[in-house]
Amino acid sequence: MTSSVRGFFFLTKDRLMSTPMQERQPQVIGKASLPYALVGPAIVVALAIAVLPLLYALWLSFQDWYLLRNPQPVWGGLVNFQALLTDGALWRAFWRTWVWTLGTVAVEIALALPLALLLNRDTIVARTASALILLPWVMPFIVLGYGWRFLLDSEVGALHALLQVVGIAGNSSILNDPNLALAVITFISGWKGMPFMVLALLAALKSIPDELYEAAAIDGASAWQRFRSITLPSIQNTMLIVGLVLGILAFYSFDLPWIMARGGPQDATTILGITMFKAVFTDLRPAYAAAISVVMLVILAGVSFCVLQLRRRE
Amino acid sequence: MNADRKRPVDVALDILTVLLLGLILLPIIWVFIASIRPDADIMSRSPFPSQVTFDHFREIFARADFMIALRNSLIVGGAVAVCTIVIAVPAAYSLSRFTYRGRDFIGFLILATQMLPAVAVLVPLVVIIRSLGLANTLTALTFTHLALGLPIAVWMLKGYIDAVPRELEEAAVIDGSSQLGAMIRITLPLIRPAVIAVGTFAFVLSWGEFLLALALITSAEVKTLPLALQTLFDPYSFSWGVVMAGGVVIAAPAVLLFLLFRNQLVGGLTSGGIKG
Repeated sequence: MTSSVRGFFFLTKDRLMSTPMQERQPQVIGKASLPYALVGPAIVVALAIAVLPLLYALWLSFQDWYLLRNPQPVWGGLVNFQALLTDGALWRAFWRTWVWTLGTVAVEIALALPLALLLNRDTIVARTASALILLPWVMPFIVLGYGWRFLLDSEVGALHALLQVVGIAGNSSILNDPNLALAVITFISGWKGMPFMVLALLAALKSIPDELYEAAAIDGASAWQRFRSITLPSIQNTMLIVGLVLGILAFYSFDLPWIMARGGPQDATTILGITMFKAVFTDLRPAYAAAISVVMLVILAGVSFCVLQLRRRE
Repeated sequence: MNADRKRPVDVALDILTVLLLGLILLPIIWVFIASIRPDADIMSRSPFPSQVTFDHFREIFARADFMIALRNSLIVGGAVAVCTIVIAVPAAYSLSRFTYRGRDFIGFLILATQMLPAVAVLVPLVVIIRSLGLANTLTALTFTHLALGLPIAVWMLKGYIDAVPRELEEAAVIDGSSQLGAMIRITLPLIRPAVIAVGTFAFVLSWGEFLLALALITSAEVKTLPLALQTLFDPYSFSWGVVMAGGVVIAAPAVLLFLLFRNQLVGGLTSGGIKG
């Protein structure tokens, strides 16, 4: 829920930001410090919860701090970053996180595109459905995680029974299968994020003028041709931006693989968020964890920049 | 609206929509059904409950640890909602009504904190909070949860205040009110629905939050609901019905909020929200 609703608001914010600021000075005379005093507490919170921790993480990443050896951090220079490069488990988690992130976004698009096309009609059913489809998005991770565990449970799970009949699952739940666990939790992650993509695509679809389709129909374009040459070009920008936002959220996932499998079986669902969490709470190496989070942030900034550049060039 | 001029294609697509929606929401529906059917019934895996029971809810509300967690979640969620409103309303007002040096940067800064995933600041936050001796306190949890809803609250409220005509406040000022007095007496009542909405959002976000709670809270007396749900998973004996009932309790505010503010939620997105 946390990240989900946050991401949800991303779009709303975009809209709010684009409302023109009222530049006209109020005619009333207030003290010059009044606006600062009013916005001050919000700035304090932003500094304390975002800016300060980020700076502290940067500082921490250069410390040598293994809680079992030294209770206080000491300057370690690049020691964490060197360790990071040779950490085999971390590298596996790194590549797994890319599989997870791209997989999640792929599932989101694959589920959302047909749904958005289906819901882009002006009937009561379509309108009600486009509201109800938000439910996976607004439900907390903990509830959905346990709900899916219940469905996939080898003793009581209805979905497990179905998978057994089809032959995908054996006697034990597929959450215990190292190969399938990542796939199924990635799918669930995409399922949870999908509503956001549906709503974004719906909004983009609604903004395509009907005249384009009418003109294409007169020219004898088939439904597929109309989709390829009108619909897709009109929504691909939205798909890219929302895909990027959802990709960032997926890259920073923790809740679902932790709640459903604790990163297991055999590290099969250990993505970077979980590696980092374990580095602090299991291995007691907070400085090392901070180094991981710094690297994650750098990678993310780099990738986002490239994607946006790519978009600009087009 | 168009029910009287429905084409067969539309009817077919509507039926397809209902079927697909049912399929997509099935895992959620399943949770709700499991919470009101007997455990023996759950074991049978039949899709339809043979009888309806509220035993799981009775059992869960009889558990001391769950009730403590419920209380803690209410305290944290309530405090987060109140603090979010108290901090966000003046901030939004300042960003909307005044022109001053650094305003746009401040707006950007507040917005940027919204984009920061909790995982990105988890490690430093935990270290800082521990060194302050605030681990295992609801205070620390409340403070970190402020980050969940505050930035969006500021920006949503700013949009609403932008829409309130400035002249109303100016009239009050001419009548002898101070600027702050005008804000409290004129603008605040006008944006009250939005204030309630952002407060509720903040509450729901805190209510279901898992990661920060997991990282900051270990002792039983300060656990919140998502953590308490985890402890229901006794490895030796647990009832899926009880766990699902706990899930329903956690999901309820989110679903309720969704039903109450559905139009705002969907409307905000569909009214030209995406410019790509």
